[in-house]
Amino acid sequence: MSLKGKRILIAKPGLDGHDVGAKIITLALRDAGADVIYTGLRKSPDYIARVAADEDVDAVGLSILSGSHHTLLAQTLDELAKLGAANIGVFIGGTIAPQDTQALLEMGALGVFTSEMSLNDTLSALEAALS
Amino acid sequence: MESPPRLSNRRALSRALTRASRASVADCLAAVASSPHDPATRIGITGPPGAGKSTLIARLAATRLEARARMAVLAIDPTSPISRGSILGDRIRMDTVAEHPGLYIRSIPSRNAHDGLADNICEMLMVLDKHGFDEVILETVGVGQADYEIRNLVDTVVLVLVPESGDAVQAMKAGILETADIYVVNKCDCAGAEQMLHDIRSVVDYRHVEPGEWRPPVLSASITDDSIAELDEAINAHSLWRDDHNDADLHRRARLRYHVESLMSRRVAELFDEARSDLLQRPIREVYAELARKLGEVL
Repeated sequence: MSLKGKRILIAKPGLDGHDVGAKIITLALRDAGADVIYTGLRKSPDYIARVAADEDVDAVGLSILSGSHHTLLAQTLDELAKLGAANIGVFIGGTIAPQDTQALLEMGALGVFTSEMSLNDTLSALEAALS
Repeated sequence: MESPPRLSNRRALSRALTRASRASVADCLAAVASSPHDPATRIGITGPPGAGKSTLIARLAATRLEARARMAVLAIDPTSPISRGSILGDRIRMDTVAEHPGLYIRSIPSRNAHDGLADNICEMLMVLDKHGFDEVILETVGVGQADYEIRNLVDTVVLVLVPESGDAVQAMKAGILETADIYVVNKCDCAGAEQMLHDIRSVVDYRHVEPGEWRPPVLSASITDDSIAELDEAINAHSLWRDDHNDADLHRRARLRYHVESLMSRRVAELFDEARSDLLQRPIREVYAELARKLGEVL
């Protein structure tokens, strides 16, 4: 498994203040060979999109525990498009109810990775999505 | 947030930097041949890990943007020698200024470079030159005593130290402590700061400085005071001094030499990667000769 040379932004949109999951995935991505940037807590979708565009990442991972994943995904995709960065994929991690996954994928999410999934499965799926 | 630019072609810039960072040595050589642009003024910020370089840069950039329209920060973090991945964590310290429309921040992994800088850093700086920044701040990875190559790439070197950086003997050693234009003892509200300031000053002031030569100031800084204004002024003073005293030709040659050295060192890494696995079974003289021969081929 290798994400060597991939640039990935891990972001915490919205107001939930827990980023253990975001930090674990950041470390796992580094160990899989990726160059990883973490935004820190409580960032807005337009801020996240601008960082993603400026850093020219291959993908953005939104870590969301608040339940507002539909809105935050839609806003992030929208802001990326406004910046001419619609080619940057967005994946979601965190606490996501199983029945929401399909809707998120249909909205354009590159993948949905919940805390029940193993890190290896998450990394393999991400690698497949980015190759 | 304000819609981004004053930097009109921001997305194009970020794509161009990615291409430059990933270019092979052959591509780098081809790109250098096309029209060179006047380099932007460059400030190098270097120092040991955890000295507070990124936080200091955020505050310095906010101050310098009062007098400048467009600034860029290139912030380098180390590549893991084990996974070849990296965590690019400098940007998170620059939150306070990140939304300024005139500022562009880019995080860069060091890759194969072992000198505090990064692969293709010259190429990335050239991309910034082309996009007309007023000033560029280059942040090294956290460095040790001998990582002073940044001197070749920038106009002003600022060395950031902290009270725990060591005693007077450490400060007297050779290397990076001899080559800075401005010294900052950061976190000067921590224990030991006065001693550190005293130690650095005694070493810097002991040096013989000819009349007209630059005498590096030793400043103190902390998150709670307005010491950034002092640093800002010291950089301006060094800039003015350079206008009158800098040997532009000598500096141009130093930059060229560093650029060629870094391309050759990358080319050697490329050749090792391309080589047959039995290359390193052979005696050292043969390995050397084989690499030297391949290095001689024009790309």
